[in-house]
Amino acid sequence: MSVASPASSAARLLADLAAVVGPEGLIHHHDELIVYECDGYVIEKSVPDVVVFPTTTEQVARVVRLCNQHDVPFVPRGAGTSLAGGTLAVGGGVMICLTRMDKIVEINLPDRTAVVEPGLVNVRLTRALAGTGFHYAPDPSSQGACTIGGNVATNSGGPHTLKYGVTVNHVLGVELVLPDGSIVEVGGKVEDPPGYDLIGLVVGNEGTFGIVTKITVGLTRDPESGRTLLGVFDSVDAATQTVSDIIANGIVPAALEMLDTLMIQAVEQAFRFGFPTDAGAVLIIEVDGLEAGMDEQAEAIRKLVLKNGGTVPKAIPWRTRKEPDYVAIWKSRKSAFGAIGRLSPSYCTQDGVVPRTKLPHILREITRIGAKYQIRIGNVFHAGDGNIHPILLFDERDEEEVARVILASHEILEECVNCGGSVTGEHGIGVEKISFMPKLFGPDDLSAMVAIRSAFNPEGRCSPEKMIPGGGGCLERRSPGRHASA
Amino acid sequence: MNWPNPPAEHHAIADGRHAHAIDRPGSPEDLASTLAQRVAEGLAIYPRGGGTAMHVGGPPARPGVLVESNRMTRIIDYPAADMTISVEAGITMKALQATLAREGQFLPLDTPESGQATLGGVYATNTWGPRRFGYGRPRDHIIGIRFAKADGTLVKGGGRVVKNVAGYDFPKLLTGSLGTLGVICEITLKVRPKAEDSALVVAAFTSLDALGNTLGALNTSATRPVAIDVLNAPAARHVLAEMAPSSPWVLVLGFEEAKATVSWQVDHIGRELGGADVRVVRGDEAGPVWSALTDFQSTGPGVVKLRVALPPSLLITLLGRIDPADWQVQAHAGTGTLHMQTNAGREMDQTAADLQRLRIACAKGGGHVIVASCPTEAKGPLKVWGDPRPDWALGARVKAALDPAGAMNPGRFFDTMGT
Ligand SMILES: Cc1cc2nc3c(=O)[nH]c(=O)nc-3n(C[C@H](O)[C@H](O)[C@H](O)COP(=O)(O)OP(=O)(O)OC[C@H]3O[C@@H](n4cnc5c(N)ncnc54)[C@H](O)[C@@H]3O)c2cc1C
Ligand SMILES: Cc1cc2nc3c(=O)[nH]c(=O)nc-3n(C[C@H](O)[C@H](O)[C@H](O)COP(=O)(O)OP(=O)(O)OC[C@H]3O[C@@H](n4cnc5c(N)ncnc54)[C@H](O)[C@@H]3O)c2cc1C
Repeated sequence: MSVASPASSAARLLADLAAVVGPEGLIHHHDELIVYECDGYVIEKSVPDVVVFPTTTEQVARVVRLCNQHDVPFVPRGAGTSLAGGTLAVGGGVMICLTRMDKIVEINLPDRTAVVEPGLVNVRLTRALAGTGFHYAPDPSSQGACTIGGNVATNSGGPHTLKYGVTVNHVLGVELVLPDGSIVEVGGKVEDPPGYDLIGLVVGNEGTFGIVTKITVGLTRDPESGRTLLGVFDSVDAATQTVSDIIANGIVPAALEMLDTLMIQAVEQAFRFGFPTDAGAVLIIEVDGLEAGMDEQAEAIRKLVLKNGGTVPKAIPWRTRKEPDYVAIWKSRKSAFGAIGRLSPSYCTQDGVVPRTKLPHILREITRIGAKYQIRIGNVFHAGDGNIHPILLFDERDEEEVARVILASHEILEECVNCGGSVTGEHGIGVEKISFMPKLFGPDDLSAMVAIRSAFNPEGRCSPEKMIPGGGGCLERRSPGRHASA
Repeated sequence: MNWPNPPAEHHAIADGRHAHAIDRPGSPEDLASTLAQRVAEGLAIYPRGGGTAMHVGGPPARPGVLVESNRMTRIIDYPAADMTISVEAGITMKALQATLAREGQFLPLDTPESGQATLGGVYATNTWGPRRFGYGRPRDHIIGIRFAKADGTLVKGGGRVVKNVAGYDFPKLLTGSLGTLGVICEITLKVRPKAEDSALVVAAFTSLDALGNTLGALNTSATRPVAIDVLNAPAARHVLAEMAPSSPWVLVLGFEEAKATVSWQVDHIGRELGGADVRVVRGDEAGPVWSALTDFQSTGPGVVKLRVALPPSLLITLLGRIDPADWQVQAHAGTGTLHMQTNAGREMDQTAADLQRLRIACAKGGGHVIVASCPTEAKGPLKVWGDPRPDWALGARVKAALDPAGAMNPGRFFDTMGT
């Protein structure tokens, strides 16, 4: 054990890192670091000792090797829109921020693939593909900010992943810097490479396997046309029943999203799309495919809306996703979280999933739980997947209220588990929901997961204390970096 | 422990090797304790479903037992309105599809010999067919799994809801793992509404250039086929029998949707195909042709069978290099995957040379060739799984994490077959 003073070891780490990424490529002053103390999940905070912004895979690998030499933990970060505390620098250490690796390396239309760097903001790939007849299917509501590297780490979904599949269904290969600093190609440009489906495992690893530095994705053909319907209901119950009916009737919508009164009002104030602010709930129901047959599908949906006492004041026919009404309705939906600022200083979004027939039940439970803990809860979510997003409104400065928010969140998630569902459909476990893992999985399941993590990340140095409770090599050890900054 | 003498035909594992015993556990718990016990006895575990594809992979490497799934066939839960189903892995694909059909639903996976083949076998081997282009691969339909590890523990991953990111994705990891990580005992799937109608459009092509142009144009066709298969002449005779046109290349396009939508597409594609000689089979008539396209991988004269993958844009060049006198080829052109098999009479050393050339051509685009079937003595020389890939070392670590004793299907997959 070396007896060097913490301060000098921290200084040496900084100097070594600066030698790799340059002085412009890192920040370490406390007031600059504060931005990185949390991500979209604001309830827990931890300031990293230093944030580096590598621009090449080689730099990432060298930074990782330095973390090993200096025995400090590190954590990858994209845009920091995680809603589960995935980027939290537990124990301090080095945060590796990929936002300067943001190039589109290649677009190959004949083979329907694209190669991108991890820091590329999701929507930039969509824009680059506009007009080609192809698109990248995963479209998280945060797509204007979040990175494809972050999407890969969390296996992101989005409104249109109901029909087209989530991130893991569209990733063919990645370049991965392992926690020991070695670089490996996982998967490739062609599907089903001989060997295990490591891509299936790597997508959704929440940063616990290393750092993704390049991604090959598959592209999807644009639909020829579509219909986007606005269904308006007096009650949440009627809306959720309609969702269940649509699915049970064998209709596969491209998207099926719900907003309740609170969210309708917030969104309407912000964007003035024309949502009826006195409605109990609205559904955005989209079908797409060939123009031949589109009206029949839309009509079948309209009938189910009417059957449940709803109305369809708007039905947007479209050929491209550029139609002004189409753009407006989706902007309203995708910016819904942004509109919450008008309602409350802070919010916390949950991400439970229930079988789709259980949606009416879980929404009733959410109302009950909100009343019980006196927390205002709005709902805007991917109803077609059974993926709820109750948004709990609170004031971060009110400790007692924060405590009630946590209790209410937990009770909602418990109920999802009771319904045979999950506590996260797309945001990930992160640090936030780690205590739920033993409720979803038994000890044997969890130890198999720990064994898998150890195959990639034997020392637990990469993104410690995430996703799986306990059992990781050096999780408990102190971080010299942490001491240095204390 | 030595290999037993052949006690009885049904003890055969594969490649002339026989099992010491056959275990037929009736429940996951029973299965798990069987594994622990057999491994403690120093035996390896060879899982078996319907036994239709036990030849896949290298020869069994050390003595062991067969563990069969055929007593685990329960439907655990089928909430049809949620479009999901949880079943035990020993159920045959035919029985599973029949259950789904009663609710107007189906699992969009094509399986050869579906009356024999089990769901567990399909997932262990990652088996698909022509519809893959439209509906995706086995990994795209699985949402939950339970498997028994060699140490006698039962592990689950995923769940029963269609969207779920809690924990590592064991359902995908186990898909295509060829029984080397554990024995799959339960699978939860998301299923789809059965299409109202189905049609296959068969078009004859006299030149590869014309075929290439058509395939290129299909990339932006107004129609949306769920299958784009190309057959060379001997494969067309094998698959389509008397329906086969007498041209060197045959394109088969599959459409599945509502009646009106299928009609529109069949009409439209006829026009897009312009001069090509076209024939349409529709509805019930299409069923046997879909099956024949699926069964190509399990039927035919091929002493050596291959599974090939390459970027679709390289397909035409590759097809131009394959002599129809030597090989039958079915190319799933939309996904760049091919099933190939030797014609009768092709010598092994010629086959080996062809394989070498194929591998080089595929590797240029990041593709690969797997030997799906060949005589035991050729398995080593032909390198069943191909040359080592950059992520195999990582794969071996994953294997060691779940099966540290190396008890599961030793010798059969890339990690233990040697290269
Ligand atoms: C308003 C709003 C709406 C949202 N809507 C959706 C939605 O519809 N669907 C959805 O799925 N999510 C949604 N999210 C959550 C979030 O946007 C996603 O989880 C997204 O994928 C995170 O991307 P990011 O670049 O911000 O990653 P970060 O938040 O920076 O990181 C997320 C996780 O990924 C890891 N990570 C990041 N980059 C890498 C890398 N290169 N290599 C390895 N690990 C890495 C991090 O360590 C962390 O664990 C939403 C969030 C907000 C704030
Ligand atoms: C390379 C390749 C070649 C193929 N060749 C043929 C062929 O010639 N004929 C044909 O009809 N189909 C073939 N198939 C298709 C496919 O293998 C079958 O559709 C499917 O595997 C059959 O199921 P089964 O129950 O008969 O499997 P089996 O033949 O019983 O087993 C196949 C493999 O899967 C493993 N396995 C089976 N069940 C389980 C389980 N529950 N858990 C873990 N592992 C299990 C076995 O150990 C074995 O390695 C091939 C597939 C591939 C990938």
